[in-house]
Amino acid sequence: MTSCDNNQQPNQQALAASILAAALLLPGLQVHAETPPANGVISLGYLDYRDSQSGLDRIRVHAPSISVMAPIAGVWSVSGSVVVDDVSGASPRYHTAISGASHMDDNRKAGDASLTRYFDRGTLTVGGAYSTEHDYVSRALSLQGSVESESHNTTWTAGIGHADDRIDPVNHVVTNERKRSTNFLLGVTQVLTTNDIGQLTLTHDEGEGYFSDPYKTFDNRPRSRSESTLLARWNHHIASTGATSRLSYRYYHDSFGVRGHTLGGEYVQPLSQGWSVAPELRLYTQSAASFYYDPIYDARLGAPFPPGYNGSGYMSADQRLSGFGAVTLGLKVSKQLDKLWSVDVKASAYQQRGSWRLFHEGSPGLEALRAQTIQIAVNRQW
Amino acid sequence: MKMVLLLILASGLSGCASFGNVQPWEKGTLARSEMTFNDGHLFSRYDDHIYTSREASSGGAGVGGGGCGCN
Repeated sequence: MTSCDNNQQPNQQALAASILAAALLLPGLQVHAETPPANGVISLGYLDYRDSQSGLDRIRVHAPSISVMAPIAGVWSVSGSVVVDDVSGASPRYHTAISGASHMDDNRKAGDASLTRYFDRGTLTVGGAYSTEHDYVSRALSLQGSVESESHNTTWTAGIGHADDRIDPVNHVVTNERKRSTNFLLGVTQVLTTNDIGQLTLTHDEGEGYFSDPYKTFDNRPRSRSESTLLARWNHHIASTGATSRLSYRYYHDSFGVRGHTLGGEYVQPLSQGWSVAPELRLYTQSAASFYYDPIYDARLGAPFPPGYNGSGYMSADQRLSGFGAVTLGLKVSKQLDKLWSVDVKASAYQQRGSWRLFHEGSPGLEALRAQTIQIAVNRQW
Repeated sequence: MKMVLLLILASGLSGCASFGNVQPWEKGTLARSEMTFNDGHLFSRYDDHIYTSREASSGGAGVGGGGCGCN
C-alpha cells in the first residue's frame, strides 16, 4: 500500500469541482462496466482483410457487421451482433512449398446475443452464439457474473461457457465430426488510483473431439486439447496530456505444447473538436506444437513431406502451429460528429516470421505472412 | 506476476495514489471510455477473430465464444 501525506478528504471546493466534472461527462460513459448503461448504441461495422505470402495475394475477407446494445428498465441491458464473413482467394498455404493455386470461396454467418441484469453490487449475464459455414457449425452458451466490493473499487468476475461444434468437410475425409469445449473464467478488476485501473483474468478451456484440419494432408492432432491463459491489463490516464495508455500481456499455454506471449500497447490521445487518435503496437511470439514438423523437400516425391513419415502418430505442418513471432502496427482515428453520432476507422499491418520467435525453435522453411486490415465503424447513440 | 508488481510500483510512483482507495467523487477520469476494458467493441471482435485464425493462442478475456472452421 502506498502511503499518502495529504489529507484524503477533499475540501468542499475540490469536491464540487469533481462532481461538476463528472456531470459534464459525455452521455453513455460509465464509471464501471458494472453500471447499468444510460444510453443504447447501434454500430455498423465493416472489415476489409487481405493477406499475402511470398509476394502473392492470398486470402481476402469482407465482413460487414451490425451490433446493438440497449438498456431496459434501468436494471437490464440486451446486446446482440451479426457478422457475415465473405472469404475468397487462393486456399491458405499451410507450408511455403505447397501450391495455393486452388481457388476457394466461403461464407460465414455468425450472431450472438446476451442479456445482463445489474444489481447494486454486481451483474449476471447470460449469452449465446451461433456460427455457420458450409462445412462447420458452432453453437455456444455462456453465463458470467460479477461482484463488486463495498467501495466499488474491486470487481471479481467468474464465468462458464460451453461450445458444441459440428464439422462436415466437403472432401469427406471425415463426416459429422464434433468438437465440444467447456471454458471457465476467473478475474479481478481493481481501481488502483484516480488515474489507474488494472485487471487480471484467468481462463481455462477443456476441449474434446476433432481438432485436425481436414483439408491438410498428414494432419493428425490429438482429440483433446486443454488451453489456459493469463491476461493482465493496465489502463493509465496521463493527466498532463489527457492521453490514456492501455497495456496488456497475455500468456497462453496448451496441451499441444504451444506457449504464447502477447504484449499489447495502445496510446489514446484525444484532440480538439471531437477527434481522437490511437496508435497501437502488438508483439506476439509462440512456440511450435509438440507434433509440428518442418517438412522435408524430396526431389522425387515433391514437397513437403514429413521426415520419417510412417502413417501413424500425431503430426501437422500447419504454419499456425509452428514457432514464430509477429508484429502488428495499427492506427485508429475516431471522430465524435455530434452528441449522438461517432465514426471510428482503424488501419493495421501485420507480419509473421519464423525468425521473429523469442523462444524455442522456429521454422526456417516458412515464408513471412503479411496482412493488411481496414476497419470502419459508424456508431449512433440514443 | 511481474506485471502486477509493475502496476503496484507504478501506482506508488504516481504521487498521492491512495492505492486502491479511490472515492466515488474521484472517478471522473476512470469513467472515460478509453479507461474501460471494452471487450465488446466491434474492432475488438474483428481483431480477435483475425488473430484466432492466424495464431495458435486464443482467448483470455471472455467465455462462450463460438468456434469457426478458420482455425
